[in-house]
Order: sequence, then C-alpha cells, then structure tokens
Amino acid sequence: MTAGASSRMRAAAVAIVAALQPLLAGCMVPLPQPLLGLNQRLEAAGPARAPSLAGDWLALIVSRGGRDRVELVDLQRQQPVPLPGLERPDAQPLSVAVDGRGERLALVRQLEGRTELVLYRRNLMALQPVPLQPPGVPRRVSLRADGRELAVEVSRQGQWQVDLIAVP
Amino acid sequence: MALLALLLSGCGSWSWGRRSAGPVGWGSADRQDPALSGNGRVLASVVRRDGRDTVLLQEQPSGTVLPLRHLQRLQPHRSPSLSWNGRYLALLVQEGPQRRVVIEDRATGRLHRLPLPGSLAPDSLSLAADGRRIAIATEGDGRARVQLYDLTALLEPDLPAGLPVRGTPGEAP
Repeated sequence: MTAGASSRMRAAAVAIVAALQPLLAGCMVPLPQPLLGLNQRLEAAGPARAPSLAGDWLALIVSRGGRDRVELVDLQRQQPVPLPGLERPDAQPLSVAVDGRGERLALVRQLEGRTELVLYRRNLMALQPVPLQPPGVPRRVSLRADGRELAVEVSRQGQWQVDLIAVP
Repeated sequence: MALLALLLSGCGSWSWGRRSAGPVGWGSADRQDPALSGNGRVLASVVRRDGRDTVLLQEQPSGTVLPLRHLQRLQPHRSPSLSWNGRYLALLVQEGPQRRVVIEDRATGRLHRLPLPGSLAPDSLSLAADGRRIAIATEGDGRARVQLYDLTALLEPDLPAGLPVRGTPGEAP
C-alpha cells in the first residue's frame, strides 16, 4: 500500500468516526454521575446507612468504633457539622430525616429499652420527644423538605401504620 | 443554655397536630416506608397488595390514589422517595434477581433506571427534593456505604413554584 493510499484510508476512518459521533450521542442515555469527592469522604467516615437527603444536607447513620451515630453533612462544605445535644452514648439510632435547611432532624432511636421518636432543632441545640397517640413503636421516619410535617411508620397491635405529624 | 432557649421558644406549649395517612384501600393492610413530597401534597408508602409489597401514592389530605405507570410487575417495592411536587418517585424495585434503583417521572411517564456498580446491592435511598441528587445506601464487598449521585444530566429540577431553574438537563424528557 502506498503512503498516499494509507493517508486516504486514515482520513476516511476519521471522517466515519466523526460522522458517527452525533448518531451515537443520540443513542446514549445520560447516566447519574457519582459525586466522587463527597463519596470518598463518606467512605472514609466509616460504614453508613439510612441516608436522608434534603437541599444541601445529608443526614445518615455512621458506624464508628462499634457505635452507631447520627451525622449531618453540609454538602456545600463537604464537612459534617456538630450536633450538640443530639447524641447519647447509650442510644441506638434507627432512622433519621433532615429538612431542606439542615435545621430540623427527626430521629427514631432506641434508648433504655424503648423506641422513641424525637425532633432535634439545630439552632436551639435541643431535642424534644414527639409523643405518639395512640402509643406505638416507631421505626422509619421521613420529614418534609420544608420541615413542617413528618411521616413515621408506627407499629400498633401487630400492624404497621403511618402517622402524619405537623411540626409546630 | 440550650434548655433555656427551648423554654424561651415556648416549646413547652407545643402541640403536635396529627392526621391519619388515610385508608390504603385494601382492608387493614400494613403500611410502611412513608415518604412525603417536599410540599407535603403527596404521600408515598409501601402496602402489602396481593401478597406483594407495592408502593402507593396518595394525594394529601384527600387520600386520592395517584396512578403509576411502570411499577406493577417490579415488586417488592422499597424505600420510596419523592421530589418537591411529587413529580419524581425514586424507589427500589425487583427485576428478576436484581434489586434496582428506578425513578418514575410522573410528568412524562418515563422510567429511569440507575445502574450501580455490579457488586453493590441497594438497600435504601433518598431523593433530594429538587431532583438534582440522590443518596443510595448499598451493601457489598462486606460493607454498608452511602453514595451520592448527580442527576442533573437525567432529570429536570422539580422546584417550588416561583423558583428559577438553573441549568438545563442533558436530555429533554
């Protein structure tokens, strides 16, 4: 094959690839992209579960040193923020939910042999029990993005129900 | 100090307004895994229907059941999560032996499948109210982990009325 023919073949191959690109792009489905930096930080924090994502906030339960604890991550700063007054070393968190401002967290936890639903307000650094009426055993909780209402799964007399509770 | 702030805020007199999530329509079925849309107008929960865990979408407070297009043969359903107006419903479904993450776009009727690396099995998820990100808890390689994914190339934002839309999705729905 002469140098001229080889050059023409290469040029033809380049032209074919260029022509196919728009066609291939039309067939390709956009995929979700992993947020690599954040995921590396989460990986380094330890085994984690039960995520709640709202706005620029991620609440989750992280296992560290043989203990589960609630963590709230500011996704803009890619850093966890302190939650004074929330944690107790003898409490076992089961489910957590955060609102879109990272201000309110609803938490189901086991403490002293019972399971309870509590609401934490970050600006007050204070935790308040949320009573269930009629009484029941809470499990998973979710919070509206605007923080005005929570939905909680409650076991009563062997049946799972959902309570909607307005947050004052 | 925190206690003082709490008392000053008048929390001692807080009353917790409650309402029922409404009947599920299939007798006294268990209802689990609740999730509210960002504006609170749609409730997703998982109920046992014909022996299979099935996601139920209801307007609030009326309890009117909202139709879903793609999910009827993909039970059991788990871990539903809704965007601000309830346009997007993300959840875990079963396709053969695989547990998968899918998002149904109720505005277009389209079902988006979110592939995960082969060794990871999704356990739960949470969709950001604007639909721009999703957090997925997985199990695999002997470890539980939470990973975040950017959905801006996949979904239009679902925002409260009046908020401007920044950016455009990579693909029109």
